[in-house]
Amino acid sequence: MYFYQDPQFGERMITLMAALVLVLQIAMVAQRWIVTNIRVFAAQSFLLAGIANTIAYFNHAPHIYFAAVMTFLIKVVFLPIFMERLVEKIEIRQEIEPLVNVPLSVLISGGLTMVGYVVAESFYHPESGPGAATLGHNTLAVAVSLFLIGFFMMLNRRKAVTQVLALLSLENGLFLAAISLTYGMPLVVELGVFFDLLVATMVLGILVYRIRETIDSMDVSKLRRLRG
Amino acid sequence: MLLLLLLLVPLAAAAGSFLARRREVMEAINLSSAVVTFTLSLLLARSTAASRYVAELGDLLYADSLSALVVLLVSFVYLACALYAIGYFRDDEKSQVFEQDVLGEVLIGKLRKYYALTPLFVFSMLLVALSNNLGIMWVAIEGTTLASVFLVTFYGRATSLEAAWKYVIIGGVGLSMALFGTILTYYSAHEVLGTETLAGLNWSVLVTKAPLFDRTTMRLAFILILLGYGTKAGIAPMHTWKPDVYSEAPVPVAAMLAAAVLNCALYGLLRFLILTSRCVGPEFGSNLLILFGLLSMGIAVPFILVQKSFRRILAYSSIDHGGIMVLGLGFGGPLGVLGMLLHMTFHSVTKPLMFFCAGNIQQHVGTDLFKKAKGGLIHAMPVSAALFLMTTLAVTGSPPFSLFQSEFTVLRAAFAAGHVWPAVLFVAFLVAIFAGFLVHVAKLVLGPDPGLPPADTCAWKKYTLLGLAGVVVVMGFWLPSPLYALIQGAAQIVMEVR
Repeated sequence: MYFYQDPQFGERMITLMAALVLVLQIAMVAQRWIVTNIRVFAAQSFLLAGIANTIAYFNHAPHIYFAAVMTFLIKVVFLPIFMERLVEKIEIRQEIEPLVNVPLSVLISGGLTMVGYVVAESFYHPESGPGAATLGHNTLAVAVSLFLIGFFMMLNRRKAVTQVLALLSLENGLFLAAISLTYGMPLVVELGVFFDLLVATMVLGILVYRIRETIDSMDVSKLRRLRG
Repeated sequence: MLLLLLLLVPLAAAAGSFLARRREVMEAINLSSAVVTFTLSLLLARSTAASRYVAELGDLLYADSLSALVVLLVSFVYLACALYAIGYFRDDEKSQVFEQDVLGEVLIGKLRKYYALTPLFVFSMLLVALSNNLGIMWVAIEGTTLASVFLVTFYGRATSLEAAWKYVIIGGVGLSMALFGTILTYYSAHEVLGTETLAGLNWSVLVTKAPLFDRTTMRLAFILILLGYGTKAGIAPMHTWKPDVYSEAPVPVAAMLAAAVLNCALYGLLRFLILTSRCVGPEFGSNLLILFGLLSMGIAVPFILVQKSFRRILAYSSIDHGGIMVLGLGFGGPLGVLGMLLHMTFHSVTKPLMFFCAGNIQQHVGTDLFKKAKGGLIHAMPVSAALFLMTTLAVTGSPPFSLFQSEFTVLRAAFAAGHVWPAVLFVAFLVAIFAGFLVHVAKLVLGPDPGLPPADTCAWKKYTLLGLAGVVVVMGFWLPSPLYALIQGAAQIVMEVR
């Protein structure tokens, strides 16, 4: 049997890529520049497309190829270009200025990763045979961690664009959970989710642009006029 | 054909309004779409009464009494808003409020935005209730947010951008939790169904197999769904977007958010609640629901008591009513579920009127603050002011209005289930909210004449208000028996498993 047909090999590849996805998520927490952040997000999405491809190949699930292609087109090509254009157009200062400083943020992310592993452990049923969940055991832990770190990033950032990026990386965690747990959702759902993601990002982009135009700042902590 | 038509009519109206060049044409398109949608929803209610369910497009669309009820309420609110919007935007134009727009959009462009996005907004709400697939339902609920963002920024003020930003970001985070919950539900069903086919997330399939699902996963899934769809429904502590959005959006949009989207979000929650109680038993989730329900009512109390704006107070009332519905579900039993669905129905009928009255007053006095409005409005605008006082009584649940009946049913459910302390708190919060509301609104409406010019001249606004008030009053004394049968049918669907 060739190595590229061996499921063991597939599993190792997936685990490796999932680990890299997690590393990139933490890199995003540590990164200070918005443009680099967007590129890290693109790289992370590229790895996700790779994971989807690998799962599709080793489990003979052709509809996941479709999800992989959509991920590539939307999250690796379109959204990063859209975001970079947006950042260029609104001419913001390029730094992120998180609320919690970088070393502490990274430490918190590490803690959240541990939480992710604990949560994922409760879904691990080795006795039920080599199902999707056993294959994606580590992957699920990474997915939950991405989700939690994404949440933390949303709270930790003040600029509108960076909040959008955090929301997108949180969504990456969901995508990873979906493909590692169940080999992806049914095709219609997958399509709908991608469509929503696309529209949501464009809507947020337009809002960011208008906020910049009207209050002359991108700092969402300055959006404090409505109270009580 | 019926389900498909229900979805196609608003879509066609959106396209028509997008292409239209004149205001009258857009108004006519929107209004006729609302009338047709409402008629179709009545037909749907009739056919779900005849047979248990209707399915179309190879099981992609599915409707039972529960969906028919939500569709009926959504299209009723749509019709009321379509009627009111005509007069509302004409008056807005007269008072030159559009010229405050910092983005400098022209009038016809603004109107087109409203008349094209509103049917899309309605389309996604109807899709929530009509889709069989729980994943598509999630997509549609997210769609309601996306279709309404630019309706919230309609006036283009800096504050409306702030509200819209909160709306999308908080909604987005909340719904991402709901998506995670949906994925986990799919996973817990995955081993039972053993397919990667389209049917994997279909309600009609899931509900029959629910007892076999993986329990641990289903529990976690339900908590995520509760947080996610709870955010969309504006249940405390995820309610913070609500006052901002309700006070910044144009009145017809705010009314639709308060009276229709709330139902859709709770509908999503209900579907998963049914699956969860089939899988892990009805007790699970009941305490969580009671906690969130009481929290919502409790948080609304202080904000209503010290509220400065008569637009924001409506949002807190909506948080309170969302809490009551969730409480009804938490108390459970036949009474609790029936109470929740009755409350949903009566709330959808009553709330739009309250928004419309507040909108009329805001347009006339040019502010939404109690203090600046000075009081004594009954002299200048007898219809709107008197009706505002009347709906305040109706919304706070005083007899003879219908919300009293549903709140009483929820209370009986609490005692039937032996939840004495929650019941006591429930009554205490209701009384506090009643008092707070009445003090504020009575001060606004009654008192000596401050010498404002007379209002209530626009026939569209006036007769919409009077017609809706007629429905509210009649509902207090007489619930049409087909409607009651529909509500009972919907309660049956929830109860079969509890």
